[in-house]
Amino acid sequence: MSECHVVRESLPLLLAESLDPASRETAHRHIETCAACGEEWLSFKDTWQILGALPAVAVPARARERFLDEVMPRQQAVVVPFHRRPVVRWVAQAAGVVLVAGAAYFTGHRAAPLRLFSQPATVAALRPLVGAQPVYSIAETRVLPATAVSPNIEGRPDIQHVQFVDADPSDGQIGVAFDLTSHVTVTGSPTDKSMVRLLSYVLQNEEKTSPARSQAIDWVRQTYSQPQYANTEIAQALAGILRNEQREGVRIRAVDTLQKLPARVTSNGEVTRDALIDALKNDPNPSVRIKAVEALSKMAGSGQALDAEAVDSLRQKVAQGDENLYVRVKAAEALSKIHQQ
Amino acid sequence: MKHLSDQELMRIVQGGDFSPASEIYDRYSGRIYNFALRFLKSAEAAEDATQEVFVKMIKHANQFQGDAKLSTWLFSITANWCRDYLRKADNKVKESEDVLVTLPAPADQSPDRTLEQRENALRIQRALQELTAEQREAILLSRYQGLSYAEIAQIAGCSEGAVKTRVFRAMETLKKLLSVDARGGDRCLNAMS
Repeated sequence: MSECHVVRESLPLLLAESLDPASRETAHRHIETCAACGEEWLSFKDTWQILGALPAVAVPARARERFLDEVMPRQQAVVVPFHRRPVVRWVAQAAGVVLVAGAAYFTGHRAAPLRLFSQPATVAALRPLVGAQPVYSIAETRVLPATAVSPNIEGRPDIQHVQFVDADPSDGQIGVAFDLTSHVTVTGSPTDKSMVRLLSYVLQNEEKTSPARSQAIDWVRQTYSQPQYANTEIAQALAGILRNEQREGVRIRAVDTLQKLPARVTSNGEVTRDALIDALKNDPNPSVRIKAVEALSKMAGSGQALDAEAVDSLRQKVAQGDENLYVRVKAAEALSKIHQQ
Repeated sequence: MKHLSDQELMRIVQGGDFSPASEIYDRYSGRIYNFALRFLKSAEAAEDATQEVFVKMIKHANQFQGDAKLSTWLFSITANWCRDYLRKADNKVKESEDVLVTLPAPADQSPDRTLEQRENALRIQRALQELTAEQREAILLSRYQGLSYAEIAQIAGCSEGAVKTRVFRAMETLKKLLSVDARGGDRCLNAMS
């Protein structure tokens, strides 16, 4: 093998500054005396430099979440992700459509036979059914008799994983089960118990990879920050997110919303107060701690009594030298409000 | 955790406590992701590779030898994953799949300069895809990860001499591809000056 070839193969090592001193010296001496290798060295140097212009790309943030979710699922045990069990999933979805269809059937067929009037109908007023029992509940599984299901299938619902069930061939009964994807819209007042319960459920159990939790928090903030809709259950759901959510952005949204809720709601619930204190003491994100101390300060300012633990936590924050200055100032402000009362 | 060495963190993981997972991930995910991205030219595959590599690191922590370098072990897993990925017929690097460089440009940089830098990055990515997988693996580990030929040989399962040849041939090819278009080459150099 010629000296030129040996030196040329070593050029990348020379560029990476990985050659031992003796070989480096030999290579440089050869490059200075051999025009062809000198030219090769310059072009390698240029190429090496050009390659350096390829920028590093940041790892998508979701990748970190995905990894931690897989290897450390125990940390999210309290907020139960909304994963339907495969075995019962089809039953749940089938039950959903059966119930909706059943309700529609009853509404349409239990009254007197339909008669067409010669004059066009006009709607004078819409009156809710007074005293009527709720006919629909959001359930994971439901089994209904065929007689409770309307023979009319509305639209083109997506039905999958159909199974035929005949538990007892001698009883003349058969069953059909399936997964159903249907879109349900529930309307009502923000104070309806069903609405509050549904929103609390969505806040705490929405699919964790979906942005829906953040959207749900924003939606809840718009409505439930108004004094007339103040609701302790919503506050508790947000407190649950503040305690258990891994994503910092979602925790910030949750604590921000808690801070904007009417003070009497956050003060009334021990769960909420404790979550705020825990966040103030332990949350690694300063933005969460800032919002938590603001919420506590707001509670103190509204005349709500803070318990001894909350007061102690605020005192500790004021004295904590390595804490964010804004958190310390807000903690002091909250304490001064308590002392003024 | 930040003050602990890689080996100390891995000892904790080997003991069944996975709490150092996030620290190890933060230390190496950028390098692993970028290696896979440049190797496979697919952001989606690079993300999957990163996920699989770190999950494997946790699940097979006991296979890690305490006296080895964690980076070498992680790159071994990554390179294996990437080779397997490419072996599947459907996953051959596609010509049209340019990974866009979407890094935010400095505020004081002109749009022309930003565009030029992005074009250069694309040219380099395309040139890297012209290499054989072995050459690409070797040059990526050498140029971008700063690994020694001994480490690359361990990762690639070949001799140091083979690594030397692969890097040299890769450089020969890249030299031609990145300087054949004189105008483009000049622009590349200008962008860096």
